[in-house]
Amino acid sequence: MSHVQMVANRIGWPMRAANGDRGPLARYVIALLGGALCLVSLFSMAWGASDASLFAVLGDWFMSETDSRLSVHERIIIYEIRLPRTILGILTGAGLAIAGAVLQGLFRNPLADPGIIGVSAGAAFGAVSVIVWGGTVLAPLTYFLGLFALPVAAFAGALTATMVLYGIATRHGRTSVATMLLAGIALGALAAAFTGLMIFMADDRQLRDVTFWSLGSLAGATWSKIGTAGSIILTSLATMPFLARGLNGFALGESTAGHLGLPVQRVKYTAIITATAATGAAVAVSGGIAFVGIVVPHMLRLLIGPDHRYLLPASALLGAIMLLLADAVSRTIVAPAELPIGIVTATVGAPFFLWILLRKRGIVDL
Amino acid sequence: MISAKRISVRLGRSPILHDVDFAASPGRVTAIAGPNGSGKTTLLRALTGDVPFTGRVEINRRDLASLDAFELASMRAVLPQSANLSFPFTVREIVRLGLVGGRSGAAGGALETIIEEALIRVDLAGFAGRYYQELSGGEQQRVQLARVLCQVWRPVLDGVPRFLFLDEPVSSLDIRHQLVIMNIAREFAEAGGGVVAILHDLNLTAMYADQVAVVHRGRLAAAGEPRTVLTDDLLETVFECRLQVSVAPPSGGMFVLPQSAANSRTT
Ligand SMILES: Nc1ncnc2c1ncn2[C@@H]1O[C@H](COP(=O)(O)OP(=O)(O)OP(=O)(O)O)[C@@H](O)[C@H]1O
Ligand SMILES: [Mg+2]
Repeated sequence: MSHVQMVANRIGWPMRAANGDRGPLARYVIALLGGALCLVSLFSMAWGASDASLFAVLGDWFMSETDSRLSVHERIIIYEIRLPRTILGILTGAGLAIAGAVLQGLFRNPLADPGIIGVSAGAAFGAVSVIVWGGTVLAPLTYFLGLFALPVAAFAGALTATMVLYGIATRHGRTSVATMLLAGIALGALAAAFTGLMIFMADDRQLRDVTFWSLGSLAGATWSKIGTAGSIILTSLATMPFLARGLNGFALGESTAGHLGLPVQRVKYTAIITATAATGAAVAVSGGIAFVGIVVPHMLRLLIGPDHRYLLPASALLGAIMLLLADAVSRTIVAPAELPIGIVTATVGAPFFLWILLRKRGIVDL
Repeated sequence: MISAKRISVRLGRSPILHDVDFAASPGRVTAIAGPNGSGKTTLLRALTGDVPFTGRVEINRRDLASLDAFELASMRAVLPQSANLSFPFTVREIVRLGLVGGRSGAAGGALETIIEEALIRVDLAGFAGRYYQELSGGEQQRVQLARVLCQVWRPVLDGVPRFLFLDEPVSSLDIRHQLVIMNIAREFAEAGGGVVAILHDLNLTAMYADQVAVVHRGRLAAAGEPRTVLTDDLLETVFECRLQVSVAPPSGGMFVLPQSAANSRTT
């Protein structure tokens, strides 16, 4: 402890207090993450094939149009391409990380990730159904919902998967981890099979849409996508204060949460709807981006503890940061081509998942 | 006042409790005793509304079914027989959970002090910063008790008595801490609250309970004051072994009883 503690004291970093109160540390970390997100967003805006520099972008914000050093061309790149892309990255990253943290709180298990337990697969099935059947079977849906059809269908798919999974894996307020993971795999496979069937039935144009969508990229970011997915994700972020209290109570099991005076059913359904809405919206705009929901909350739990009042906002911030960084990597590593961002997150996330498993075998053998 | 009339519970297909009547008053420690699997936990879970039952349970003259989680949480706190925890919480964070729902009755600013005081009462002063999962079984059990105490910190709130439901609160404690915990229960009752505790230790039951209900094969075998209920005959039928009340073992047999320590300061 001593060395770490000394360094921590020197730089004024609040360690886990001897009295077990990690609130000050958590607030400090959240403030740092907020600052880091601002920096990373700026970086993400200035980063790319065109050489509009960071200073030029910053300058453009604070100077009048005539003084700006940016050309018209650069402004279009920044405001019509990079800004939407950055915002979409923030929304998706925050949404996926929150969804992960909420599902983990609900299932009382650090391995519950929308990508692993079939929730994203359900969302993907919903999304692909709209792409393929949007003009025929699901025409009324696309007619009434317009741009919202894709995220709503993805949400419906994710919701169905989660409800079924919760029904299977949770008995008498106790979640069996093995059942959760195995049932999640089965559900995911089933959803993938249905998705495959959809693709099999698709014509060439739909096939191209599906492929483009499933590559999981922020490249197609537009303001209208931000409007639809963003409103869903922001709504689910708004439930955080209510959920935070409830999920803390869930840590001791459903019945204890009830004894503590929490509205268990309401917490449960809010958690499921929040997590699936955020996953659905994120999947709808960006295809399958796995592992953000597992890596981010887990790292934060190690740092600031599992108190959801801090864990949820911190996850949103760190999720956004991670996704912007992953996007930066995906844009540059094979430039001028782009690697699908899902590949980047999976390359980092999958070994991380294995690492948690190896370190904490106990949680799987419950 | 807790009163339960004709409680029957089925879990799955099997009937677990049959027409059990039960009552517990404020100011009293009411014990529930009986062999393993006799239905004690199930009875407690019916009284706290955790299992579906037929019959009627009233808490402070109000029907259990008509109360919502928040109202219930401000009238009673529940210590389950076992608790498993999914994430690495510190002891302070666990005890603080007792304050998330109901009404502790303490002034807003005093909440963090209650946590410390509750830990001192269960003899865990200085444990607030430890990780719950790194504590021994008995220490974990006392942390849970501290959490439960926080939830109903004042035994009487707005003139309404509050209740502690404890499922085997001393099952994994050493003898001194058994007395510490039973004394907390005693004090809670003396301050006007009510305590319902499942106890396996008949000796502790005799020492601390004002009332005892003996459950046997899903039925109420007897209820009343320990002195009248715990007889040789009843114990033999219920526990199926020849027990004798207040009979010292034949000369030379050794026995250790906590009575001499019970009323001394144990903390
Ligand atoms: N969820 C369940 N489904 C079916 N039967 C159950 C369930 N829970 C308990 N039982 C059965 O109900 C009976 C009573 O169980 P209960 O937990 O109330 O016993 P207990 O008196 O608390 O025992 P112990 O002293 O071991 O804690 C037992 O026979 C048990 O097998
Ligand atoms: Mg029991």
